[in-house]
Amino acid sequence: MTTEAVTASRRAVKFDSDRWSIVALAVAVTLPLIVFVVAPLFELLKLSFVTPDGIGLGNYVTYVRSAKFGRVVGNSIAVAATTTLITVIVGYAFAYAMRRTAMRWKGALGSIALMPLFAPSLVQALGIVFLFGRNGLVNRTFGLSIDIYGFWGIVIADVFYSLPHAYLILSAALAVADARLYESAQVLGASRARIFRDITLPSTKYGILSATFVVFTIVITDFGNPMVIGGDYNVLATEIYNQVSGQGNFRMGAVIGVMLLVPAALAVVAEKWIMRRHHATLSERSQPLLIVRERWRDCIGLAFASLVCAMIAAIVLVVVVASFVTLWPYNMHVSLRHYRFEVQNGLQPLWTSIGVSLMAAAIGSIVTIAGACVVRRLRNATGQALYFLSILPAAVPGMVLGLGYILVFNNPANPLEFLYGTLLILALCNVYHYHAQGFLIATTSVNQISRVFDEASTSLGGSFLRTLWSVILPIIGPSIVSVGVFYFVRSMVTLSAVIFLVTPATQVAAVSVLLLDDAGNVNQAAAFSVCIMLVVALALLTFRVALRASGRGDVSLIR
Amino acid sequence: MFLTLRNIEKRFGTVSALNDVTLAIDEGEFVCFLGPSGCGKTTLLRVIAGLEVPDAGDVLQDGTSLLGVPARLRNFGIVFQSYSLFPNMSVARNIGYGLECRKWPKAAIAPRIDEVLSLVHLRDQADKFPHQLSGGQQQRVALARALAPKPAVLLLDEPLSALDAKVRDELRAEIKDLQTALRVTTVMVTHDQHEAMEMADRIVVMNAGIIEQVGNPIDLYDRPVNRFVAEFIGRMNLVRQSTARIPVAEVDDNACIGIRPEHIELVDANGDRSDALLGRVEKCVFLGSFTRITLNVDDRKLLLELRGRRTDLGVGATLAIRIPADAIHRLQDAAQ
Repeated sequence: MTTEAVTASRRAVKFDSDRWSIVALAVAVTLPLIVFVVAPLFELLKLSFVTPDGIGLGNYVTYVRSAKFGRVVGNSIAVAATTTLITVIVGYAFAYAMRRTAMRWKGALGSIALMPLFAPSLVQALGIVFLFGRNGLVNRTFGLSIDIYGFWGIVIADVFYSLPHAYLILSAALAVADARLYESAQVLGASRARIFRDITLPSTKYGILSATFVVFTIVITDFGNPMVIGGDYNVLATEIYNQVSGQGNFRMGAVIGVMLLVPAALAVVAEKWIMRRHHATLSERSQPLLIVRERWRDCIGLAFASLVCAMIAAIVLVVVVASFVTLWPYNMHVSLRHYRFEVQNGLQPLWTSIGVSLMAAAIGSIVTIAGACVVRRLRNATGQALYFLSILPAAVPGMVLGLGYILVFNNPANPLEFLYGTLLILALCNVYHYHAQGFLIATTSVNQISRVFDEASTSLGGSFLRTLWSVILPIIGPSIVSVGVFYFVRSMVTLSAVIFLVTPATQVAAVSVLLLDDAGNVNQAAAFSVCIMLVVALALLTFRVALRASGRGDVSLIR
Repeated sequence: MFLTLRNIEKRFGTVSALNDVTLAIDEGEFVCFLGPSGCGKTTLLRVIAGLEVPDAGDVLQDGTSLLGVPARLRNFGIVFQSYSLFPNMSVARNIGYGLECRKWPKAAIAPRIDEVLSLVHLRDQADKFPHQLSGGQQQRVALARALAPKPAVLLLDEPLSALDAKVRDELRAEIKDLQTALRVTTVMVTHDQHEAMEMADRIVVMNAGIIEQVGNPIDLYDRPVNRFVAEFIGRMNLVRQSTARIPVAEVDDNACIGIRPEHIELVDANGDRSDALLGRVEKCVFLGSFTRITLNVDDRKLLLELRGRRTDLGVGATLAIRIPADAIHRLQDAAQ
């Protein structure tokens, strides 16, 4: 065949519907990411640079020169750094007790440690106020005047708030260990402290770094706890809220938002970068470490872990008790009056929250799994770009995203303006706020499926969509549920992004808690929190039972 | 030619996996790609299947280029090394999958499933799920699934290497019988020379991304073109001409002499044959149907394989051997 003929035959590429369906699906997952993540960020950045004199750094200069600036930024960094230090140390010790001792009751202790994940983000602060606040149990009982509002109040609340995240990461890091290293060290006569310093610590350093950045991001972007327990102590996240909701100053809100975005984004980038080089720490020949009973170590571990869990449980328990008494802490008679919800809307916000969370679970599972499948199929630069776009929201604080949504969707020029003020925008905001985590859960499950299945299906004539529908999705089925559960739980408890988007008609439960607390109605705030926690607990229980009934009890629901 | 590979090139990053590979395969032929791991044999199979796109070159079926035809439209059946049955489908649905994808009429699907299941003797397992089957049964179902849509070419990617030795031998014979009966053009990748020699009409010996030699098993064994092929198929004593007292002339520096161990003959040590070589037995290993002897001849080790049990030849014994002229292969070093 001549060169000409070869070219001709190559040109005769058959119409390949497969390529088009991949492109179509890629566009279908990319477009919403642009509309619901990139556009809000872009609008926020744009607004922060727009001054009466044109585009420039004017707004930043004004804010940096203001008296508040140094204080708020300093406060944020001080709170985040202190909390991170404490949380990572406590989290490491707790994870060590769970993974490297043979103590009893690990299952119960591990579950209690995760409780804060399933409560609205201000429950910790609420509980601490009930205990140590101006009208708290301790001050009233002992006639003290401990002032918990401010720096230490936020730090303590955020330590408990961020502890489960640190624990999950560090526990995973401590779970893998090469027994051969420990055996050689023991044979060589290394002391216990020496083994910890020379083997355990270095082999978990990536976990420690990762936990550090994750906790830092969570704390610096946290909004609920500083609102409840911060008093006059302002941090960046509350300052955005004050500027926007209090003074209607969107421009300054945008400037502060960018200032919050930068450290959060840097921490996320650092964390991703660290985790990428984390892989080669364990070779295939590694022997798993067997933990043998050792009386003193196990006792110390149990004592420490129990203490931590007791504190976590106490905070939640106090909130529950406070919701059932007449007037905490003055009148401790049992009463259900706070559950009458004789406020505007009554219990409606809880139903709204459930509705929004169900929508977020449905939409979130679909978009993240579709995204994961597209990225799996596109093993090229486009796929990598889509991957990056999918995990970008991890770097965007909820307050920043929420503010961006106002800018984009509360704009009559936007054809999607009709979304503003609906439940759907709340659900979409949650979907894309937590898109990175949902996407990573989906990616992990999709990547567990061997590519041989794709190739077998392709060679049998199966198209991309058919392979997805008949092979990939049925195999990962239960994992789809776990993405949905993740979204449901997050949407029930989140506060930061949706706080800017709720209207009186679309108020969600977590926002109600904040507003009730703000109005001094703390017992009702507690009652509302209990309702949220109850819904979350019921949802988790239902899915657990359903999964077990369908023979897939092994699927993890907690991320 | 039914299937033609023309000047195929494939690189992965800086590694050249296939380097100017050209090959023609006849209709109904059973061809084996044989070579060590990393030689490019699996890549070549995947290029034929359409699962890899070559950087250069062309794949033609009946003279028509397949480059623009995606894998799913080629109608080539593939059996993979690892079990690739869809775990969420029964045996029957696995086999029917390709028929549904290829839009067979509904009425024709069930009889065809039945037919291919009988071919692999698993009719009674139709409703089972893959995890309920043994490894050998799973690979049989995979074979049935690949054959069900009547593929133009059957591609086997080390289909037996994950199986136990005994099951492997059974299935080896079964695949060969099926292929002979159906006359389906088949390409199999393997690193096992016995598998290739037992099953293939022609063997393609590959090394480092190129084809070293193509031929039927007898050709390759009796007339290897270079050292690589000689050493990869069977055992071969290699001797450099310049240091050997072996009766052969005109071999240049890049070549050596190869002698199969079983072609070396024992002669009477006290005889007066001028071409006899004397050696000392260094090792004597009894291997069932034959005995393998390591003989030291002028500080050069030669392997001998003698039929039957030769326990009479102890270490240190002196043996007289003779190398028949027709047992000597002149071997070039592998083409670089």
